[in-house]
Amino acid sequence: MSSLQNDVILAVDGLSVDIATQRGTLHAVRDISFEVKRGETLCLVGESGCGKSMTSLAIMDLLPKGATRRARRLAFAGEDLSRAGARRINALRGDRMAMIFQEPMTALNPAYTIGNQLVEAYRLHRKASEAEARERAVHLLGKVGIASAGERLGQYPHQLSGGLRQRVMIAMALMCGPDLLIADEPTTALDVTIQAQILRLLADLQRELGIAMVLITHDLGVVARIADRVAVMYAGQIVEEGPTAALFGNPRHPYTRGLIDCIPVPGRTQPGGKLGVIPGVVPSLVGDVRGCSFRDRCAFAREACAAAPPVHRAPDGQSWRCILENAA
Amino acid sequence: MTDTTLSLPEAPEPSPAMKLLRRFLGQKAFVIGTGILAVIVLLALAAPLIAPHDPYLQNLDLRTIPPVWYEKGTWAHPLGTDQLGRDYLSRVVYGARISLLIGVSVVVISGLIGTALGLAAGYFGGRVDLLVTFLVTTRLSMPVILVALAVVAMIGGSLWIVILVLGFLKWDRFAVVMRSATQQVRSLDYVAAAESAGASTTRIVLGEVLPNIAPHLIVVATLEAASAILLEAALSFLGLGVQPPLPSWGLMISEAKAYMFFSFWLIAIPGTALALLIFAINLAGDGLRDVISPEGRA
Amino acid sequence: MIGYVLKRLGLALLVALAVSAIAFFLLRLSGDAATAIAGEGARQEDIELIRKTYGLDRPLVVQYVEWLWQTLRGDFGTSLYFKTPVSALVLDKLPTTIVLGLTSLGFALLVSIPLGVLAAVYANSWIDRLALAIAVVGQALPNFFFALILVMFFSITLRWLPVSGSDSWAHFVMPTIALGYYVAPAFMRLVRAGMIEVLSADYIRTARAKGLPARSVIFKHALRNALVPVVALTAVQLGFLLGGSVVVETIFALDGLGYLAYQSITYKDFPVMQVVVLLLSVLYVLLTLLADVANAWLDPRIRVA
Repeated sequence: MSSLQNDVILAVDGLSVDIATQRGTLHAVRDISFEVKRGETLCLVGESGCGKSMTSLAIMDLLPKGATRRARRLAFAGEDLSRAGARRINALRGDRMAMIFQEPMTALNPAYTIGNQLVEAYRLHRKASEAEARERAVHLLGKVGIASAGERLGQYPHQLSGGLRQRVMIAMALMCGPDLLIADEPTTALDVTIQAQILRLLADLQRELGIAMVLITHDLGVVARIADRVAVMYAGQIVEEGPTAALFGNPRHPYTRGLIDCIPVPGRTQPGGKLGVIPGVVPSLVGDVRGCSFRDRCAFAREACAAAPPVHRAPDGQSWRCILENAA
Repeated sequence: MTDTTLSLPEAPEPSPAMKLLRRFLGQKAFVIGTGILAVIVLLALAAPLIAPHDPYLQNLDLRTIPPVWYEKGTWAHPLGTDQLGRDYLSRVVYGARISLLIGVSVVVISGLIGTALGLAAGYFGGRVDLLVTFLVTTRLSMPVILVALAVVAMIGGSLWIVILVLGFLKWDRFAVVMRSATQQVRSLDYVAAAESAGASTTRIVLGEVLPNIAPHLIVVATLEAASAILLEAALSFLGLGVQPPLPSWGLMISEAKAYMFFSFWLIAIPGTALALLIFAINLAGDGLRDVISPEGRA
Repeated sequence: MIGYVLKRLGLALLVALAVSAIAFFLLRLSGDAATAIAGEGARQEDIELIRKTYGLDRPLVVQYVEWLWQTLRGDFGTSLYFKTPVSALVLDKLPTTIVLGLTSLGFALLVSIPLGVLAAVYANSWIDRLALAIAVVGQALPNFFFALILVMFFSITLRWLPVSGSDSWAHFVMPTIALGYYVAPAFMRLVRAGMIEVLSADYIRTARAKGLPARSVIFKHALRNALVPVVALTAVQLGFLLGGSVVVETIFALDGLGYLAYQSITYKDFPVMQVVVLLLSVLYVLLTLLADVANAWLDPRIRVA
């Protein structure tokens, strides 16, 4: 284990995010732990509101007002971010760790040109000249597949389509050659055809540049294609985690199984045949949440589920949080 | 897909707890504002009972007696007397009547004009809208105080002239707010429903549109009343508004100007009364706006 | 952009025309020019004679067209009171009012932008409440009352500043404060509201994600966007400033257009009155036009359509 320590770029241990609401404290993320190795892609999957976005914002220290994070340890390249000051965080953000957001339409500042926004972080972190930074920007715009990159630098965000803007966001995140890239549903707001292009681009760049990536998505099809490992989140907890092939081949948690059953498989799913549906709704995360939070929707629920479920680990690296020791 | 459970903290506003607090504070402002306003209105209504003297009675032997908190002050004239020996408390109390009368009357006149124009523009759109927008732009480009001064100078000043002139000049904000509010309401489903159900234009405007914009109307009215009161005071201060011997606060300040070196309180008292009244109206208006639309901005 | 500017220019011309008509008819209908020219206690025959010589017996519309034509050619007539050409009079006073307008606008922005930014960054803190208190109290003080308080304090008690006149920069200090403080609260509220909205925008999160320091996030990324509506308000507030200059210049006997307006009104100096009302209005129209164009230029979504 200790020999692997250097390979771990991000180690999250016991991260929680609380949000103050009118009805009480909302426990958006509850004591989650995971690791991302250098050059690896981890997908965080789950339904809306399961806390996956909050997790990513908490890592980057970008939580909105009213949301607070706690963690036993939030190690980035061995350095505990949960104890780092704002100045240190700013030095890492945009340089060693970068983020891409869900909404390319609003994530770029309407008042400044693409070029201006691209060079900013590079000039700040690399102390580079304007000319050097622009050269780097043109290079990266080319890399993310934007033609006539030089011209684009002088354009404003509103002159670009959503897909182009997301490419610009990706180029912007890569400016300083980060070790870790967090992508929070980077394709959700885009057209379906563009979605595939952007995902392929992300996957290719990740492989080529050897960046570690945390990709947040609710789309299991995406996960199957580009993830090395998967963490399934439900109601603020990671309920199952493991290598992609193992998790898809042998889902251990009833929720994971339910999610996978919801994917239509060409050839196997008969037209008009029934897709899997998980009945019920996600429980409220306001106030104390006890026991397995999936038990109200789970076909295998029993009385013991009212207590906190144990975490099982399989030799292949798969782990799951359920009273069931084997596949449901 | 959007995060439904987590959408709250990601919204522009701070946490819901702070929002509640802010709304509460907004209500507090409203409570304080209306409280002060109510006291001033009561004082104005009960002026004959409260005023210790006739506000017009001159006594040249008792000129510029300072208020009681000065060494030479006397309880016979709690706020002293002015340069003509008139009891200052009585004049200030009767002065409230003038300011309130101005505020209410001007708003009634300008509110009627502005609301009608704004409703017409917002409801009919097209050429009517263009015309009203043009009228508003033209009106806005002429400084109210300047036009009012000129007209009052030509016709001659009096309380009612001032009210009429200001009433005919200050309808612009009503028109602007009404116009956009009507446009908004008009695009709502229930107006379309009323229209398709064959309701007449007048009925839709009076029955459906007006009640929905009434809250906005009230907010504009409070702010415009404050502005009208300030304008009357300024006109009277310049000698081209309410004429002597009426105890308009602006006029009182103007008359006391020559004495400000020795008796600054002659200016400070009506000035403070004026500021307090405006403060109360603005506070009530702001509070009201917060209560009506908590997310609304100034 | 050019099309937009041309359209706005056309509207400005139309408004200016309408204003000229209103300025003319309003003053002519509310008083008799011949009586005003003849002065008080003039005999009826004299008034009739004046009416004939000045052409005041002709239909108003004819008089208006003639006046407009002359005004457009730069012939503003002769002042009844000062007995000098109105154009010379106005040109003489205009710089003072422009300087006062600019200094008081500058004063207002200098106070309100930092205060608004602070109030937004520390929303709901004591700083925010203090800024709000200043704004609410500021808006309640009538400007002539505030001006007299300034005189009492700076001229009578401290003896720092001259009470009235317009000979040196010191004469502009109190008028600037008296005129500027009144529009500052509106700016402050707008800056605060705009900053609060902008600070929670996605692109601010992007800026923070780049590791930019707080000062760059607030001043480069947020303030620039929050200032766009402020530019629009500037035009409206300049209108208030022009109107307010009548009161403030009169109090401090600052020899500008506002004071001239007051003098011409009290002396019923028709030719001057008409021109001053027209000029102040056209000035406002021009400033609004300028603000609109600046606004469009500030917003790339309009500029680079």
